[in-house]
Amino acid sequence: MASEEVARDVLQRTFVKGGRYRQAVIVLAAVFLLGVVGFILKLGQDRTQWGYYAATFSYLFTVAQTAPVVSVAMRLAKNHWRRPLARASELFAVVGLFNLLLFIPLLILLPSIEGRNTIWILGVWPSRFYTPHIFDTLMLVGLVVLGLLFLWTAAVPDFAAARDQRGGQGRYAFLAMGWQGTVRQWRVQRALLGLLGGLYFMDVLTTHFLIASDFSMGLVPGWVDSIYPAFHAITGLQAAVAVTIVTMFLLRTVGGYREYLPMESFWGLSKILLALSLMWFYFWWSAFITFWYGRMPVEQNIVQLIMFGPYRPFFVTAFLFCCIFAIGLLIWNPLRKSPAALAAIATMILVGGFFDRMRLYVSSWSLATTTDHTLTTVPAAIWPQVPDLLVIAGGLAGAVLVYLLATRIVPVMSIWEMKELRLYQVPRQLVRRRMLSLGKPD
Amino acid sequence: MQDRRTLTDIQVNETLTNTVLKTPLLWYVIVAFMGGIVLLGVLAVGLLVNLGQGLNGYNRPVMWAFFLTNMVFWIGISHAGVMLSAILRLAQAEFRRPATRAAEVLTVFALATAGLMPIVHLGRLWRAYWVFPYDFSRGIWPDIRSQAVWDPHAISTYLIGSSLFIFVALIPDLAVLRDRTTGIVHSIYTLLALGWRGTVRQWRLQAIAGIILSALLLPVFVSVHSIVSWDFSMLIGVPSWHTTIFAPYFVIGAVHSGVAGVITVMILMRWLFGWHDYIRREHIDSLGRLLFVVALAWFFFFMLEFMFGLYHQEGTEMVVRELWLFHAPWNAIFVIFILTAFIIPVPLWLFRSVRRSFPLMFFTTILVNIGMWLERFLLIIPGLMRKQPFTFSWGEYAPSVFEIIIITATFALVATMILLFARAFPLIPLGDAKEARVLRDEIRIGRRTVQAVLREE
Repeated sequence: MASEEVARDVLQRTFVKGGRYRQAVIVLAAVFLLGVVGFILKLGQDRTQWGYYAATFSYLFTVAQTAPVVSVAMRLAKNHWRRPLARASELFAVVGLFNLLLFIPLLILLPSIEGRNTIWILGVWPSRFYTPHIFDTLMLVGLVVLGLLFLWTAAVPDFAAARDQRGGQGRYAFLAMGWQGTVRQWRVQRALLGLLGGLYFMDVLTTHFLIASDFSMGLVPGWVDSIYPAFHAITGLQAAVAVTIVTMFLLRTVGGYREYLPMESFWGLSKILLALSLMWFYFWWSAFITFWYGRMPVEQNIVQLIMFGPYRPFFVTAFLFCCIFAIGLLIWNPLRKSPAALAAIATMILVGGFFDRMRLYVSSWSLATTTDHTLTTVPAAIWPQVPDLLVIAGGLAGAVLVYLLATRIVPVMSIWEMKELRLYQVPRQLVRRRMLSLGKPD
Repeated sequence: MQDRRTLTDIQVNETLTNTVLKTPLLWYVIVAFMGGIVLLGVLAVGLLVNLGQGLNGYNRPVMWAFFLTNMVFWIGISHAGVMLSAILRLAQAEFRRPATRAAEVLTVFALATAGLMPIVHLGRLWRAYWVFPYDFSRGIWPDIRSQAVWDPHAISTYLIGSSLFIFVALIPDLAVLRDRTTGIVHSIYTLLALGWRGTVRQWRLQAIAGIILSALLLPVFVSVHSIVSWDFSMLIGVPSWHTTIFAPYFVIGAVHSGVAGVITVMILMRWLFGWHDYIRREHIDSLGRLLFVVALAWFFFFMLEFMFGLYHQEGTEMVVRELWLFHAPWNAIFVIFILTAFIIPVPLWLFRSVRRSFPLMFFTTILVNIGMWLERFLLIIPGLMRKQPFTFSWGEYAPSVFEIIIITATFALVATMILLFARAFPLIPLGDAKEARVLRDEIRIGRRTVQAVLREE
């Protein structure tokens, strides 16, 4: 397909949405409203009953707000197979706006840091009441702003293409910010993408550190686990790659973008997903073996609380889905070469990831007292009630709804990157074999 | 921009086998000098065996010091081999080609040197084999719950795997040497070349073997340094060691120092053997970018380890951090560590001109390894000095001259072994260099010519 045809085709799919799109929006909106009802039903409940809400927020942060890192990291590696998936992963940044709303009740519910272990040991704020609320909010807002800026910067050339197609007027004229495609503008755009991408990546890691420490570990007396923020980040990356694969598959089958999403992109991501699944096990095992080996009572209680005690079904599900089954299936080349199989495995990982967040956050939030020196008794499990299930469903539906609505404005395929790919890829013949000559940008 | 000139197969063969067939005089001088230092180290070990480990000043509470630090350091250096060779091979990164053999060789010799350290530390060196379950009649089995048993098994597995990895990749080059030598040397190369004729089938099998070994060595590579880290972190008796982050922290630190070490070796090779056409600016530029990312990851883990040492504000952990920050000479060592391991080199690597400068990359990678040695020193010894909450059980430590001589000798040993290897085998794979030439391409985009690489469709 010629470059101009790519632009016309992708923009046409952006502006004109079919019946299935409208149906999906209606269903998701309805489920989201049910979630709002569930939230209202939960108002007035004790903090210990809000674990599922916290797990939902953490899961959406883990999946959606870490997803743009897939594009950032692949851009840094300068490979070409990332181009078809770049925009699809960058678009998840808009879900951050929705997640910011979910964050507000958690800020209100979070207990004071007085008398308990916390990363805010120096009490840097004049009044400790504002710590960690201020800093965590700043990091999360910063993440959302950086994500949107990154998305905007990456999409500017496509907004310009849309502006030109629509006669130079309207919202795309504003979004395109006067883009003409001069050499200077391209250079500035490339530099900005590098800068914003780097900042986004660092902000994601920092926010994982803060969310994991303040909204999970800090609520459990005696839980000192230096690898936990890193585990939180790695599982986030695994979920981010998984959701990108699922999104690519849906775009390919339901969205009609089959021609733009070659097997090579799935193949490249599948190897990364395998590596991240192995790292899931590695980071979990590092924590478990260090706690388990020494047989210290407080550490044994922590292991019981978050793994083998009341939330064992959640842990076992997460362990099997995110680790054992994922690794066992992803090592098989035929499965990694099938987009459908890969999407199924990615979906399984996403389900496992949600169970993982539930076992970590529901267990943490279930403790009535946060100011003991150590965890002496493991409380019974808190199972989800109807309002919890509504909140979970509504939260997930709301996130997907926001993403779908964003695809009405932002082309889900990066037009300029696809055009660039056609310039960098030239077919060649080497002896008797057909090869591709892939240009290496400096 | 990529600077290169086109070379024929004959030129590649001649230049890269020069070190074997026509060794420069400087090689003999350096080997003699390094060999002398190694001999000094052997003498120091002999004295320790004869007169006892008390010469090192080891006593409660500091029972592990320079030797363990050095062991962890060399195991760290050894991680470069699998990182560059296996991972970059699986990722099909072109910039790995001149680095793979040097990295693999550095791995094997660094591992062997690391394995010597706990043996020297034993005092009764001749009993080292007791860690292996070799004898049923003694009625004493090695305690599998002991870290002293895990380490030898892990290190020897990695050593055997890495050696096999080098040998498989070396076979085609051994055949080239076989065809260019006579006499007994020819017989030895013939034996080692295993009948290599360069047929299509042999190349295919060799490539498959390389991929399988790469995939098998990767978990070994992660597990070895993780097991070494668990020597420390699983102990509840030393509170500052008992932290869950140690495994990935040690591994990423190993990759950080290992890749820096490989860059140092590559720049030395370029200078010593005149390999300007094979080790080019684009290679150290790409390796520098990899090192930048690894350094950031290492710093993330370092910050986690530091912060969570302060998290629960337990006295035994706070005093160690206090020692690092407020007490001489530990605070000076800490400052030197953080400057050399991160603050000086990493911002410099942001600049393309630095990454493409051989002197600057040599300087910064040396700094990294100084810093990483000090990092292991700071992790191990202050924790032991302050491991008990009772101040009367606190101890101090100062290195002995024997330790310094032995540590210096380990550096000389690794250098000597690499140079001896270069005397017998080419340090850059000939096949890789020729394959790079075949897969190299150029494409025109507008008025610019862009370097490209051929890939299967």
